Amino acid sequence: MKADIRAGLIILIAVGCRTERPSTGADSAASQDPQVTSSAATGSASVSGARIAVPHAGPPGEWQMPAGDYASSRYSELATITPQNAANLRVAWAFSTGVLRGHEGQPLVVGNTMYVVTPYPNVSYAIDLSQAGQPLKWKFRPDNAQQAIGRACCDVVNRGAAYADGKIFYNLLDGHTIAIDAATGNQVWRTRMGDLSRGETITMAPIVVKGKVIVGSSGGEMGVRGWIAALDASTGKEVWRAYNIGPDKDVKVGPRFKTFYAHDRGKDLGVSSWPGDTWKTGGGAVWGWLSYDPALNLIYHGTSNPGPWNENQRLGDNKWTAAILARDADTGEIVWAFQVTPHDMWDYDAVNENILVDLPIKGQTRKALVHFDRNGFAYTIDRATGEVILAEPFVPMNWATGVDLTTGRPNVVETKKTAQDKNVKDICPSLEGGKNQQPAAFSPQTGLFYVPTNNLCMDFQARAVTYIAGTPFIGGNAPEKGGPGGYRGEFIAWDATTGKKVWGIKEPYPVWGGALATAGGVVFYGTLDGWFKAVDARNGKVLWQFKVGSGVVGNPVTYSGPDGKQYVAIYAGIGGDMGLLIAGDVAANLPYDVRERGTTLPDISRWTSWGGELFVFSL
Amino acid sequence: MTIALLAATLPIACKVSSARDAGADDSVSSAAAAPDRDTSTSKLLVAGDSLRFIEHPEILPAGFPASAKLQSLRNPYETDKGAIATGAKLFVAYNCLDCHGADGSGAMGPSFQDGRWHFGGSAGEVFESIYQGRPDGMPAWGGRITNDQIWMLTAYVRSLSSKDLSTENFTGKTVERTGH
Repeated sequence: MKADIRAGLIILIAVGCRTERPSTGADSAASQDPQVTSSAATGSASVSGARIAVPHAGPPGEWQMPAGDYASSRYSELATITPQNAANLRVAWAFSTGVLRGHEGQPLVVGNTMYVVTPYPNVSYAIDLSQAGQPLKWKFRPDNAQQAIGRACCDVVNRGAAYADGKIFYNLLDGHTIAIDAATGNQVWRTRMGDLSRGETITMAPIVVKGKVIVGSSGGEMGVRGWIAALDASTGKEVWRAYNIGPDKDVKVGPRFKTFYAHDRGKDLGVSSWPGDTWKTGGGAVWGWLSYDPALNLIYHGTSNPGPWNENQRLGDNKWTAAILARDADTGEIVWAFQVTPHDMWDYDAVNENILVDLPIKGQTRKALVHFDRNGFAYTIDRATGEVILAEPFVPMNWATGVDLTTGRPNVVETKKTAQDKNVKDICPSLEGGKNQQPAAFSPQTGLFYVPTNNLCMDFQARAVTYIAGTPFIGGNAPEKGGPGGYRGEFIAWDATTGKKVWGIKEPYPVWGGALATAGGVVFYGTLDGWFKAVDARNGKVLWQFKVGSGVVGNPVTYSGPDGKQYVAIYAGIGGDMGLLIAGDVAANLPYDVRERGTTLPDISRWTSWGGELFVFSL
Repeated sequence: MTIALLAATLPIACKVSSARDAGADDSVSSAAAAPDRDTSTSKLLVAGDSLRFIEHPEILPAGFPASAKLQSLRNPYETDKGAIATGAKLFVAYNCLDCHGADGSGAMGPSFQDGRWHFGGSAGEVFESIYQGRPDGMPAWGGRITNDQIWMLTAYVRSLSSKDLSTENFTGKTVERTGH
């Protein structure tokens, strides 16, 4: 996960970045008014026969798990808000979370209660939606080691909670998973999952599958050995834990393990694809989103970059870092694995969400997994086997010319390979990726994926680094700059059956907030400079926008209120990897200072400042 | 003053050889030290230039020395260009860089360039931050690396602050950073 910390030496336009997929529409200079920089290219598409593989969790008017469903579709059946009336949206109410850090993630809505989890110190609130003024039912402030603040690479975010069986489950930055009684706010159990002294913090949102809470840790920049684990939802007892690197026994490679590609087969690849003992500090953390297919009983998760960034210290494929893994939900056994970026040398984690949909491709309905990777390729994968059906660039990129579908491996451009003590210039996308944690949405109505993207490039300087437990294990410096075209982000609609962009809305800054698709035909997303937008799902026309109190790095949800009205909720609170070191004035006792990142986010401090608020809108 | 008092009451059993070299002319007070320590080499760490301290010798069990001489921490390498250069290398070797930024401009950890210090910017206070660690995740390096190395890191870190970049004050100007 990188860590933010780079900024740039070179001003604005990246020279020498080949744009394989030039974007259409007006370029938007960052210094211009954001209201006039969005330009929707016209276009429309309908992929007939598309449907979600997994239904929404709970009643359509609720939001019980991070992405709304196990498929990670972030789609709601609510349809009151439409392209015809979206212009009438207005603020219904707002709530301050009391924390001024990056508000990634999203609230939950169960019955007439909304549940909010803040960034560190990870306070949770239960908000009564049935009463005027939305009073709290309870507030819970967990025991959460302050040390964790400085062990988190990329701001002290939390990507949300999951609800099941009367309990709210979420992770604490200091490595604990907790369960809270949803009715009373009492802590039911608390289990230490991560070792903070080795740099294991937790920022990801869990999911609950058949009575088990599934969690992983952050720490790809700290030399952790990545894992994913299941806890008994009623007791908090660990049921299984699988590592992503190391011997087959630890990785849970057994007789059921079948990779689609022959080069990914063999014994103890999690050891043999690393020199010496380097696998023990090799990263591969599970800090992103989780999906689950009940029919196949498989959990899908990505793994982070290998550590350190300096590839010379870990020659080999470095399995299973920067990979997508399918594991049996009951046991954690690997059923298939696909290494998206073998021997990653650009910090291209593969932890972005895996959206499970059944798609019509070449006359067949395929059980697909759609994944927009940091490396800039959008993958449509067979989720039963791990076969890559197609892989196409969804952002400007130049580090690879394509993906070889016979092997699944990228065709890497020689001059863009990073190496120790070399300064490799103008690599696109940057280490923030063509997309990062900001989750996409899928609408079965249009058959399209709605994808918040980044358009950044970088120079990459790798250097030797020593592992010291609890300190960063990075060995690299990667100053960033805007990508080709003069815009730094774009909200796009993507057809995963053909691998083509259908329309796009250019933004002056990386689109670091997630997407929401609704049956009303309206798609929602927020921007780093603080605009929350409603967009026509068919053509990308901006129907409405509202300037919220801080930059948006969170994900919209929609729910049906006790009054029967459709509401849309979003966090405002700039931060996260992309918001780290930005604008605003903060107390001096925060662990880092706040500063504009010159060439990465020019002028951002004119548009926003720190915040921590929930905004709720309705017609 | 509060910091100094706190430091004085912490039973830190480190050898502060460099501090000893700095001389004792800033010594202002004394406090109890463990009996098995040679007070000439095991000074309690005290930050700041002056200290007033009540000893309460009546509380000590019989046989313990009533007082030990304290001294201010002074960096013997403060203006030593060679030591600052060594400190810059240590800054990379001990992974300080990946937390605090390549030029100390801030990242996971705070900036050293903006002229503001969360735990004090005197040589003694910076030494203490490195030696003892700080609550937001700064590891304690005391006992892991030598005190001379900590002093050289202190000298390097303090040398960065002279740049005094405008950071949180919005001026309409973009501040360039050199990244990780």
